[in-house]
Amino acid sequence: MFETIRLAKGVNVHVNETTQFKTINISIKFKDKLSKEKASARSILANVLQHSNEAYPSHTALRMVLDDLYGTSLYMDSSKRGNEHIVSLNVETVNDQYLSEEGVLEKVLNLMYLVLFKPNTEHGLFKESIFLREKNAVKERIESIFDDKTRYAQQRMMDLALPEHPASIPANGSIEEVEKISNEKLMEEYRTMIEANEVEIYAVGDVKPELIADYVRDYFHFADREKPVAAPSMELEKPAQQRVAEFEDMKQGKLHMAFFSPVTFRDEKFPVMQLLNGVFGGYAHSKLFVNIREKESMAYYVSSSYSSQFGLMFVLAGIDGKLEEKAVKLILEQLEEVKKGNITDVEFGQTKALLTNQLTEALDSARGQIDIYDQYMELTEDFEPDYLISRWNKITKEDIADAAKQLSLEMTYFLSGKESEIDA
Amino acid sequence: MHKVEFEQLDETLYHEKLGNGLEVFILPKKGFSKTFATFTTKYGSIDNHFVPRGEKEAIKVPDGIAHFLEHKMFEKEEGDIFQQFSKQGASANAYTSFTRTAYLFSATGQINENIETLLDFVQEPYFTEQTVEKEKGIIAQEITMYDDQPDWRLYFGIIENMYKNHPVKIDIAGTVDSIQDITAEHLYTCYNTFYHPSNMVLFVVGAVDPEQMMKLVKENQDRKTFEDAQEIERIFPEEPLEVAIKERVLNMSVQKPKVFVGIKPEKMDLQGEEMLKHELAAELAFELLFGRTSDFYHHAYEKNWIDESYSFDYSLENGFGYAIIGSDTAEPETLAAEIKHTIANAVEKWPFGQADLDRMRRKKIGFFLRALNSPEYIANQFTRYTFNGMNLFDVVPTLEEIEVADLQAAFSLVSAESQQSVFTIQSPDKKEAQ
Repeated sequence: MFETIRLAKGVNVHVNETTQFKTINISIKFKDKLSKEKASARSILANVLQHSNEAYPSHTALRMVLDDLYGTSLYMDSSKRGNEHIVSLNVETVNDQYLSEEGVLEKVLNLMYLVLFKPNTEHGLFKESIFLREKNAVKERIESIFDDKTRYAQQRMMDLALPEHPASIPANGSIEEVEKISNEKLMEEYRTMIEANEVEIYAVGDVKPELIADYVRDYFHFADREKPVAAPSMELEKPAQQRVAEFEDMKQGKLHMAFFSPVTFRDEKFPVMQLLNGVFGGYAHSKLFVNIREKESMAYYVSSSYSSQFGLMFVLAGIDGKLEEKAVKLILEQLEEVKKGNITDVEFGQTKALLTNQLTEALDSARGQIDIYDQYMELTEDFEPDYLISRWNKITKEDIADAAKQLSLEMTYFLSGKESEIDA
Repeated sequence: MHKVEFEQLDETLYHEKLGNGLEVFILPKKGFSKTFATFTTKYGSIDNHFVPRGEKEAIKVPDGIAHFLEHKMFEKEEGDIFQQFSKQGASANAYTSFTRTAYLFSATGQINENIETLLDFVQEPYFTEQTVEKEKGIIAQEITMYDDQPDWRLYFGIIENMYKNHPVKIDIAGTVDSIQDITAEHLYTCYNTFYHPSNMVLFVVGAVDPEQMMKLVKENQDRKTFEDAQEIERIFPEEPLEVAIKERVLNMSVQKPKVFVGIKPEKMDLQGEEMLKHELAAELAFELLFGRTSDFYHHAYEKNWIDESYSFDYSLENGFGYAIIGSDTAEPETLAAEIKHTIANAVEKWPFGQADLDRMRRKKIGFFLRALNSPEYIANQFTRYTFNGMNLFDVVPTLEEIEVADLQAAFSLVSAESQQSVFTIQSPDKKEAQ
């Protein structure tokens, strides 16, 4: 799918030359070791760099030039995977074959260069007003999670279940850490990002791999760098509490459960966990959906998800504030069924069919191709869907039951309205 | 079968209107593995007052019924239709909007089987009192979930403010109380009135052979018998031009207050080319006035009146529409005043010229070409355009024709003070909100 060109130690260009899309997508990913401090600083950095630069010193000036380039989208974001924190510069621009103008791509690459290498500075620091404004923006983004009760409940559970563990560190860091970041510290993080981070550059579209590689080589001058040192062990420690109930001003009850599994992304049995998740609660044909939603009419959403980086399985359900106990009982009953190997041929076949469909489908978007390739790069050099499909097809129901038996429920978190508190 | 080539876009669209009235569109996408299909009826939450098929008197049905019906289409005597799609490796879903109910799937294999399943399950209703009762618990939880989402409340709050009588002011899913009144008989009445093929569009996009697909759809439809197509009589109340409520505050626990300014358009009966031109021109005008390169945005961001949640949108359908501008903000009153002020200034002295238009036009063309990478966008938008007598692929040529005067004319229809409303959400305890 992608052709890889190594530019320096720890710096690679991956290009998928294809006419499938009417646009060209480029992503530059900077990878570093995850910590709360890093995540906080790098989120501010992403905001500051996409705000403006030396050539386009105001937000308006930069956005106008993007509008002129046929509404080229350019944004930076902050994400995490396992022990890694990733800052990405993402660009999507129209293939000029569809336009009356030529040379759009070169202009876009030049803009990417300006964003990364010519930041808006004064006296060797980021422009103070922009720094302060963007620092505040990141703080407010973290605070706004409170307004989305599902995300809020999940974050609360993670904070309680695995404090200080990478699994509970949000990609945007924490309010306390964001507040601590100084302009000097941010400049230091910026230098580290450009000079020492592992860099993966992706391009998807009707573009020659050499063109991208040459441009990056000639203008970006990324020097050799070491891969970030392997992070300390990510052992999951048993939470101090097994069950926590909290209350907010709200109507629905949010039930979140966390299970530990010894199987992670790097494990041979990783594809078994994907199937287990599908059968248990990953789809509309799954045991949780069919039994808790359709048979019991208790929930609009009830599902499971598998966080492969850490070996965590979550179950989420939106239920009446008074029905926590009943819901937990029913959910565990369904897990018991999986453990006993009570999986029908239909459930088993449907899950494999949908996993396959989901994966193949994701590759029909440029962003999907980049994300999947970047994720699996660690396991295989040239990811093709069959890498997973062939593994899924070898799995038996017994394998799934065995994986289910290794799950341990470690935390039940319930967020509900203040009325349920009074009734309880 | 008609074949229309859009050379500039490198797309070919196939179309046929079948004998039973069903409009079928097929758009093959080169290089794609997946196929995405939507089967949509021109029937949404606003269609709550109508003359049922075969009757003479108009009836009113309970709020939330179109959405309820959408849920119940998936249940059949032999079981849940999601199971059938899963077996065939397809991800299925559905949604109900103010004006449409769409059933859809995406799959990378067994496309013929999945298309047959899609057509068959939507054309074979099965409702019983028992299954209807059972669904009420599920939908009640769905409504409760949305009730807890301040952004959803904000969106519906501003629409409720703007509209006095039009059913757009009613939440699409209804309320926990209103859905209790829904019966299987209601569902059949709505189904028989609005799910006739002549009121529906099938759109298939992706890895398909158009000839073979059209044949399959035709054969499927030929096997079924339908009553004759009939004009559907929908009744909408008179809606005054001015907004129903000028200002309203909802107390709800939020991190930061939220405010929307809504503007009701003056002309809400546009269709076809006229609608397309107005819609695009108004979008360009709002983009210039409130987009990320506008003086307003720059000023408001610097002053900390807006944050990353800031948004603006213009939406128009037959009979209703709205422009909405707003953000999470520590200063909702200042922000609302500033938005209104910006509109008033533009009314008094139109600030944009040819260079502004050219820049926005390029941006819009780029956005459109990007969107054409998405089968979901194409199918959903094409259907919406078709129901309003427009063609999605006319967007670029129409954009190219638009002049500065068109922007000003479109904006003048969505700007009067009497058409504006403000809706705010803030925590009951103001200290908490800071």
